Amino acid sequence: MLSRNAQGLYWMGRYLERAQHGCHLLAEQFIIIEDRPIEQIDQSWRRLFRAAGRTPLGGHLDPPPDDEDFMLADAYTLADDLTFEPTNPNAIRNCVAAARESARQVRNVIPDKMWSSLNLAYIDLRDVEMETIWNDRPGTFYDRTMGAIRTVSGVAEGTIYRDDGWHFLQLGRFVERLQSVAALMDAHIALFPTAAPDDDADWLSLLWICEAHFAYRRLYSQGLRPTSMVDFLVADPSLSHSIRHALGRIVEALDAVAAGPPLRIEAERRAGRMVASIDLDWPDRDPEDDDATRSALQDLGASCRQLHDDIAAAYFNYEIEDAP
Amino acid sequence: MSRESRGKQSEADGDGPANAAQRLFAAYETRPAFYDEMFEATGVPRAHCRELCQALDAMRPAEIAAMQEYAERSFLHQGITFAVYGEEGAQERIIPIDFLPRLVDAADWDLVERGLRQRLEALNRFLADVYGPGRILEDGVVPVDLVRGCPQYRVEMRGVDVPHGVYVALCGTDIVRTNDGFMVLEDNLRVPSGVSYMLANRRALKTSLRNLFRRHHVRGIDHYGRLLRQTLTELAPPGVSDPCIVLLTPGVYNSAFYEHMFLAQEMGVELVQGSDLLVHNGFVYMRTTAGLKKVDVIYRRIDDDFIDPLAFRPDSQLGTPGLFYAYRLGNVTIANAPGTGVADDKSVYVYVPDMIRYYLSEEPLLSNVDTRLCRDPEGLEYTLDNLEKLVVKMVGESGGYGMLVGPHATPEERAAYAEELRRNPDNYVSQPVLDLSVSPCLTPSGAGPRHVDLRPFVLRGNETRLVPGAFCRVALVEGSLVVNSSQGGGGKDLWVLSD
Repeated sequence: MLSRNAQGLYWMGRYLERAQHGCHLLAEQFIIIEDRPIEQIDQSWRRLFRAAGRTPLGGHLDPPPDDEDFMLADAYTLADDLTFEPTNPNAIRNCVAAARESARQVRNVIPDKMWSSLNLAYIDLRDVEMETIWNDRPGTFYDRTMGAIRTVSGVAEGTIYRDDGWHFLQLGRFVERLQSVAALMDAHIALFPTAAPDDDADWLSLLWICEAHFAYRRLYSQGLRPTSMVDFLVADPSLSHSIRHALGRIVEALDAVAAGPPLRIEAERRAGRMVASIDLDWPDRDPEDDDATRSALQDLGASCRQLHDDIAAAYFNYEIEDAP
Repeated sequence: MSRESRGKQSEADGDGPANAAQRLFAAYETRPAFYDEMFEATGVPRAHCRELCQALDAMRPAEIAAMQEYAERSFLHQGITFAVYGEEGAQERIIPIDFLPRLVDAADWDLVERGLRQRLEALNRFLADVYGPGRILEDGVVPVDLVRGCPQYRVEMRGVDVPHGVYVALCGTDIVRTNDGFMVLEDNLRVPSGVSYMLANRRALKTSLRNLFRRHHVRGIDHYGRLLRQTLTELAPPGVSDPCIVLLTPGVYNSAFYEHMFLAQEMGVELVQGSDLLVHNGFVYMRTTAGLKKVDVIYRRIDDDFIDPLAFRPDSQLGTPGLFYAYRLGNVTIANAPGTGVADDKSVYVYVPDMIRYYLSEEPLLSNVDTRLCRDPEGLEYTLDNLEKLVVKMVGESGGYGMLVGPHATPEERAAYAEELRRNPDNYVSQPVLDLSVSPCLTPSGAGPRHVDLRPFVLRGNETRLVPGAFCRVALVEGSLVVNSSQGGGGKDLWVLSD
């Protein structure tokens, strides 16, 4: 497959996943806003911005003590920043636009229906502003957008030819998922320690964002335990949003695109080491030690960024040493 | 349109056929100055259009509006675009479609087809001649300085062994009709676009007007992609039996990027940019995830100037260094060949009928538009004296750029243009304002006549091939004669009927 096309599909996968993740975070945030005390709302905004690695407009999140209405107005600004802000490359609308632009450049190697479903998702979003969705229950906007992105993924799943293009799309998607789940968990544990949580709701919301809520309920009938949730989200290969699951899919995709010789390339070896760090090392750490957990998550995030560079160096921008 | 939505439409409008005033063609009038593609006279459809007119007249306005809307919406969703440079937010401008088809009967098409085959044959021989022995120049049929001085003449092409002698593998010839019959307006022999819009218009109409196709015995055009691939396969360098074909695009910012993508998809070949290719030891390779892969045939949609910074414009970011070297060695085919622009130059155009007589000993089947060269003193004088009646064009330009439409220009515009003309007469030709034929288009008040032309696409590999169809370009503004897509024109489906 043409390197530029592989790269386009990889980025399409990443941006779609990023937009999807952004929708999950904000949909959950608007549920939190409905009935939670102001301090908790404040904390969950912090979680969101920390996970995104973004400083909110205005530079901080603390409300001035004499302003009763501050949170509402602030939610508007904050959500706008993460959804429509033109200068925020990771704002949801920009992610959908970037995914679509990647798709437009590789249209000839993806199914027509996949392109038009993504184009439709973009057209529906293109002219929307925060003001419009604010007056019309913002949560429904994120649900709708999530639905449109799921449609794209479903159409892709159902129509795309399973050649390298598909595997690069998967690579992009799961590299992005791994990074965003690791960053979210790191931010979450920093704000909500695993020991004796004040309120289950903060941890429940983490499960909701990672689409892990019902599966967790079924598997851990003894009730909510933050440490078991952390294990679940990191190490359970059967959970679609777990880090281990994302890694499994990355390994599969790398296997599928590998050109041939038995020697594994850097990207494959790195992914293999990451798998080992979860399967072999993760259970050894002290689950009560939040610092150790966070540092393991940060290591996974850093390895994943290197993995991205490995993939680019092996397949997209490789050096041509000696042409045939 | 689905049965359900049809049902809804009829509820909204009341049942039964459209009443007289609502009929699509109720207010449609023909004018003797312009040949009308659908009507002989007001209210009298041409024989081959009668059935279509009846069917359309029986439809309710809401139904017709729904069909037009369907066509437009499907273009938007599929992103069928043609950018208009310099227009704000126009990088992904959807090309306008008018859903009323233009019909061409079998006899007319036969003439067009034979005329095009003849013309392309002569043009290919002309190119082989001027880059080879130069007989036609020696015999004084075409002036030597006109050819050699033409900016599109590529001296680098002298003596290059062009695969199978085919310089022009694809062309898109603009044909107009007036009361005097069909005429060739220009031969586009470099990187003609529009064929994707021809196919997209057809696809959109098959969904909205589907019952009418079978009844009219409309000839199919969907095999164009296959013919194009076959043509390019035949032009592969000698000894290559299953060539690796690519389509070379300048990228997403090109106005016709949609078309490049579409054609790559139709042919099942890679769509590459100059930076995806590299030349090593005289061969061309593309960069894939599994290493370098040799490329044998390049259908390029980049102008000569930009294909290779080492051979042509050194500042080109779009091309591939060394590409022309690989081409000269015969290791890769470039279609169309570099240098074909000398044959579609607007001054050389004047000599095409002579080329047909010279090379084929036949009379041209399609005539030229009466054109004066401003490089000739009489031509210049005539042009300056009659500026308000003429269309003046720059010889090297296409896409309707650099053109003066005398009758529609202000006296100041004409004066400024005349000054340019005097300064550099070689650069201009003039033609009478053509009374382009009209075809009905949907307007807010029923159907109205709009000027049209047609651009069929001819392929040349081991043999000459074309599909029975064309991109029918429409000037959407009432009275306008400018149909170019780059000037905001639209398109409609063109139906070639079988006998």
